[in-house]
Amino acid sequence: MKICIINGSPKASKSTSELLIEYLLTFIKGKNVVTYNVCRADLSKTQFSQIQNNDVLIFAFPLYIDSLNSQLLRFLIELERRGFSNNNITVYCLINNGFYEGRQNYIAADIMKNWCNAVGLTYGQTLGIGAGEMLTFIKDVPLGHGPNKSIGIALQKLSNNILSLNKGEDLFVSPNWPRFLWKIASSLCFWYPRAKENGLKRKRLKDKVN
Amino acid sequence: MNIIIHDLSNEQFHSLFPKINDDVYIISDSGSIRHCIGCFGCWIKTPGNCVLKDGYDDMGELISKSKKVTVISQCYYGCYSPFVKNVLDRSISWLLPFFKIRNNETHHKRRYQNNMELAVHFYGENITTEERETAEKLVKANCVNFDVKNYHISFSNSLEKLYREVTDI
Repeated sequence: MKICIINGSPKASKSTSELLIEYLLTFIKGKNVVTYNVCRADLSKTQFSQIQNNDVLIFAFPLYIDSLNSQLLRFLIELERRGFSNNNITVYCLINNGFYEGRQNYIAADIMKNWCNAVGLTYGQTLGIGAGEMLTFIKDVPLGHGPNKSIGIALQKLSNNILSLNKGEDLFVSPNWPRFLWKIASSLCFWYPRAKENGLKRKRLKDKVN
Repeated sequence: MNIIIHDLSNEQFHSLFPKINDDVYIISDSGSIRHCIGCFGCWIKTPGNCVLKDGYDDMGELISKSKKVTVISQCYYGCYSPFVKNVLDRSISWLLPFFKIRNNETHHKRRYQNNMELAVHFYGENITTEERETAEKLVKANCVNFDVKNYHISFSNSLEKLYREVTDI
């Protein structure tokens, strides 16, 4: 089984999508997997050809304004333009968003379904994960345990379907962590410290530009 | 001020809409727009402004001054066109990084207090029923995230029909 993973994160630094791909790879060990980041560099003709000739395509990307980021969107349009001579490909998606609720990825999943219809590929399943920025903070917690419990279980279901080329209902999960604590922690542990690194006091984050 | 974000060529746009109101600010594809790189610089480095200086770095500020945003976009798979999506991706500085609960979902708090209307006019020859449904959900979700109370959405399968849909610019 040939699997191609498309990392659709535009981030220059390590992204949540990259972390989720690492997680997924532990479930699909031993398979012939190639990964491309389509936001960091233009792909060669050979690389496009490799993407067009697989059994499985997995798109891992972050949610941008309720949908796909513009770079990934351009890439999908380019793939449609080039076409697929081999239509025997099943597509799976691993989407993360910055909001708590994984459910908020459902529109991006629908867009990917529509893309599959446009290019004539089989849509397999999407796993949408909420609180994406939190995942790097809990990366040392084993999957399937503690705050990573639901994510681990969902990744197992997704990879089972990938390995058997089965379709499945879309899955939407959030870390097993209370929403109100996540909301508080997002400010105290993420936004404020990052602003401080840039020499900004907390109140400056609310600056208006006029 | 009202804003129009469109992906038509300048020739197409001016041909379709030769008379534009004086208070309209037009955002079109100059070819220089850069992709959002997810750095959150517009939230935690230069709050309110994008760090990518390409002429599209003040989208949050522009939106803060608008009463109505009109989007004219080709529909791709139920999403906007890459250029229009690019502009929207670069507009998150209108919001704050902090969260609030709205409709029992987490969404970002707003940086600015202006209340805007949104009109989205999708066009394309072969927009499928599924794509249309997705686009409707997308615009509705965008309105929740940008706290837009009044919005309008249309679909046109030709530029002639688009011209008839876009009546108030």
